[in-house]
Amino acid sequence: MSRTYYNGILLCFLAGFMLATSPCSAQDEFTFDLEEFEKKNLEWGGYAEFKWEHMDINQGSAFSLLNFMDEPRSTFDRYKGTLQIDGSYSYGKTTFNWILQASGQQDDIGWYDTADVFEAYASLRPSPLLTASIGKKSYKWGKGYAWNPVGFLNRLKDPNNPEEALEGYITAELDLIKSFSGSLQTVALTVVALPVWDDVNDDFGEVNNVNLAAKLYFLYKDTDIDLIMYTGNSRSRRYGLDFSKNLATNFEIHGELSYTPDQRSILLDSDGTVSLQEDSALSGLIGIRYLSENDITSIIEYYHNDAGYTETEMDRFYQLIEDGGGQLSGPVIDTLLDKAREISLKGYGRPQPGRNYIYGRFTKKEPFDFLYLTPGLTTIFNLDDESYSISPEVVYTGFTNWELRMRFTSLQGPSFTEYGEKMNSNKLEFRVRYFF
Amino acid sequence: MNNRLTRNTIFMTILTFALAGVFAMQAQALDGTEILSQVDRNLQPESYEMYRKLINVEPDGSKKEFVLYSVKKGQDKMVALFLSPASEKGRSTLRLNDNMWLYIPNVGKPIRITSLQSVVGGVFNNSDILRLDYSAEYDVNGITDEGETYLLDLKAKTNAIAYDRLSMKVDKKTIVPTTIECYAASGMLIKTLYYKEPKDFGDGLVRPSVLETDSPLYKGYKSVMIYAKINKKELADEIFSLNYLSRVDELR
Repeated sequence: MSRTYYNGILLCFLAGFMLATSPCSAQDEFTFDLEEFEKKNLEWGGYAEFKWEHMDINQGSAFSLLNFMDEPRSTFDRYKGTLQIDGSYSYGKTTFNWILQASGQQDDIGWYDTADVFEAYASLRPSPLLTASIGKKSYKWGKGYAWNPVGFLNRLKDPNNPEEALEGYITAELDLIKSFSGSLQTVALTVVALPVWDDVNDDFGEVNNVNLAAKLYFLYKDTDIDLIMYTGNSRSRRYGLDFSKNLATNFEIHGELSYTPDQRSILLDSDGTVSLQEDSALSGLIGIRYLSENDITSIIEYYHNDAGYTETEMDRFYQLIEDGGGQLSGPVIDTLLDKAREISLKGYGRPQPGRNYIYGRFTKKEPFDFLYLTPGLTTIFNLDDESYSISPEVVYTGFTNWELRMRFTSLQGPSFTEYGEKMNSNKLEFRVRYFF
Repeated sequence: MNNRLTRNTIFMTILTFALAGVFAMQAQALDGTEILSQVDRNLQPESYEMYRKLINVEPDGSKKEFVLYSVKKGQDKMVALFLSPASEKGRSTLRLNDNMWLYIPNVGKPIRITSLQSVVGGVFNNSDILRLDYSAEYDVNGITDEGETYLLDLKAKTNAIAYDRLSMKVDKKTIVPTTIECYAASGMLIKTLYYKEPKDFGDGLVRPSVLETDSPLYKGYKSVMIYAKINKKELADEIFSLNYLSRVDELR
């Protein structure tokens, strides 16, 4: 009772905050009060968001059995409020930056809340050529939109929402830039030290190590090129290359290639045992961004992940769950499902665990002269098992500082395929976001 | 003898007229190029910082406003940072020659964009917002004296430029543009720009403070740019790089 009461208060607070900070009057035509925009030492902003999701559960699928074995259900509803506050404080050549995010979620099972420091770091800029920073910082290396095989320090992003902020790691960083005239226009070097100790970045990899990563950037003949390397004992060593170039005023091409000599992954063997495999992995991505004459932006990417699971390996995982869910009780069954849950968390349950994918996103800006309305369609296709997700959506930004998004996702595929074994068969989502 | 003299006289006369014609054409072309360079310098210093408000006006009169802080260096480097509205705050765009990138704080990395796209919607596209000197992008194909104005016919130097041809009317007294028609390679009129309301920005810079645009492709819509502050500013080349995009606000 008391828990529900507090949950209600939190949701009311979020809703009230969104209303209280909403604009109340239109500005006069063609006026520009510059004082309002003078630089201040303290700058801050952020957004408040409310999201409702309704899912039809794919009853009998592998992940519905894993998640709802004890309490089978046909639908699942979730309400979530999020508050993100970002800002900076500048003093001379030093700047302190932060991104904080808190969220509360009520779903059919219970209440969850979380509060995280996504970023909090200080940077010192003695000259435009050199910047040093220390603290918690998020890295988004790579040119791919949906995936980044060269994102050696990146958190795993959701290809369905690749533009969301992600939690960073505590690092020390040095950034050097040098510009030239001629074919080679810019060279920049970013060097990052990432320690992994108990309670410091301990979700990155093995503890008691200091890892190093470096990115060397060139703008050469109008092409962005990055050479990337990671070394350290928390994860296996890896090397990467990416590029991006505009081939025309409406056509961009990009790509990534990464090589890991000793890629470690959890593998379910044919005899049911679980082992740690070590093998070299070559992963890559090639993609385009194209703006058509009728104002449709298309992003298409092909992704190959050597570190992903083959169809046969995924089949063994689905079979394990089917064996576990085939009977209703018994210690053997529990053991099988426990094992499936464990290896799901260690790799089999991650988004896009397979080897070959196509991603497509198509958006049409302001169709039929409907200003600030952007309908879109996103699809992720597993090329190995031919299952896929397809998500039509509509985004409206016509009210200043408000963003409304409605999205429906359908997951399609037979049994023993990635999207045929997901927890849900579809999802309807409505999101309201207010920026302040 | 007389015949020979006559032939020589005719030949010299034709040669003189031909050379005079060539020199006259060269002088005209030179004038056009000089006028275009003067237009650039009268609109903005070579390296500067600037505050602008961009307003998209819909057919029903409702508006959406954006405030940008921009810095430019030389003929080919420019950065613009969104200060308002809150939904766009912190976004920055970089242009180096024909290369353009957009940095969105949440996304956390710059992505390449194209000159024909628009990061703000409305009639202005990215090349309008990140406009370099006209003389950096266009050659003068012809010039016509129209009394109080010159009419410059400008042709894009490469096919990477957003508009293939510009028809620019330049006020003779102030040597600033009054109207610019922007055409695609097909000859289709894409938009018309109107420079209005001259204002003294200090340091000898007197130029239009309002730029309006409309387009037959966006019937009933109008976009307006208001210039509030333009200052000369010394800037390092390294500011115009991808690694610096997240820190542009520190220049203010």
